[in-house]
Amino acid sequence: MVLLWAAAVSLPAQNLQPLTVTSPTIRAGETIPADHTADGRNISPALRWSGAPPSTREFAIICDDPDVPMPQPFVHWVLYQIPGTAMGVPESPPIDPAAPMPAEISGAVHGLSGFRRPIYRGPAPPPGKPHHYHFKVYAIDAVLDLRPGLTKAELLDAIKSHVVGEGELVAVYERKPAGLR
Amino acid sequence: MITRRDLLKVAGVAAGAVARDAGTEDRAMPGLSNTVVGPAGSLASAEMQSAPIAWLALTADEADLLTAIVARLIPSDANGPGAVEAGAVVYIDRGLAGALSSSREAYRRGLAALERYARTSRGAPFRELSATDRDSLLIDVETGAATGSGAGFDGSSAAFFAMLRAHTWQGTFGDPFYGGNRNFIGWDLLGYPGVRATVTADEQRLGVVPAPVRRSAYDSEMFNKATASARPGPRGHGHTA
Repeated sequence: MVLLWAAAVSLPAQNLQPLTVTSPTIRAGETIPADHTADGRNISPALRWSGAPPSTREFAIICDDPDVPMPQPFVHWVLYQIPGTAMGVPESPPIDPAAPMPAEISGAVHGLSGFRRPIYRGPAPPPGKPHHYHFKVYAIDAVLDLRPGLTKAELLDAIKSHVVGEGELVAVYERKPAGLR
Repeated sequence: MITRRDLLKVAGVAAGAVARDAGTEDRAMPGLSNTVVGPAGSLASAEMQSAPIAWLALTADEADLLTAIVARLIPSDANGPGAVEAGAVVYIDRGLAGALSSSREAYRRGLAALERYARTSRGAPFRELSATDRDSLLIDVETGAATGSGAGFDGSSAAFFAMLRAHTWQGTFGDPFYGGNRNFIGWDLLGYPGVRATVTADEQRLGVVPAPVRRSAYDSEMFNKATASARPGPRGHGHTA
């Protein structure tokens, strides 16, 4: 079953343009600031990207944590239908689904995170070891009319034949056991 | 169509019946004869609505925090008044002093942990946060993301939230006999027509919206008030109705 799921959502490995993904608040390989975690305000970080091919019509973002003791990475953020003209996303788009998105990502919609909410929910790992958080950005060569609230698997399935570029920013976060705080 | 004024009159009658019963034996939930319902039994009187509430189980600070929380769970908005106006906190307080007393400690520890979590994660007491930050924090409590924060939740923060949400719903939409659903705000919000002993043939026709009945089920003789005892019942909530 797991193999079937993996096959269904795997993306073509060839001909993908590498994207460079950065953030004004998160540095690759370093600890994610508390404001982007459940130990802080839990707001989504601003991201910037470059290197998307000219055929890009939309972008999508997925953030997940593969270090959880679960068969699949735990999903923290799903955002898609980001206009192809966007060079990134601002910090903390509205958590109210009825509220309009900022102008630069107008039309973007949230998918479901592993917390079963259509908003960003940042790192909240069990104490014990650092977890790695992958902020992945996908460049898509089509305008896809997708409903809001897709899961990561549903989104990957919907875009799998349209991904023309991909990049990620990976950072870490760790919660200390209560007695060590 | 029933007017707000008519609704309040009906509420006064119902509350009067409840207040009389509350003075007898162990039938009523604690506190039904206090200032919230009022010695005159009128939920409608403005002086009763604004009178200070004598909390039976919660401290004033806990009640204030709980009020701020339930205001985000079922807010007062374009759909009408919400959980605060319905008296959900009063319901919880009276419950914790009686049928829900086994949850008293869970509330004490849970509210304290939530407040600590607000200060450590958002940098301010819950009541000083913006509405967005309050909602964000409550989502973290609801989903269990706050569990490992070191704020001191017993087990999962999600368990505390689930209890709080259930009691808020009960206090907003339950029978007013138990201290909540003030002025039948919850039933109006849902469009629930109310408890009635008979339903006429006309009322059963498709497309007919029955006129709302706004009185407690326990004002009907067919409901045995003994089932509303504060003693723990099969569901652990002390009532079977």
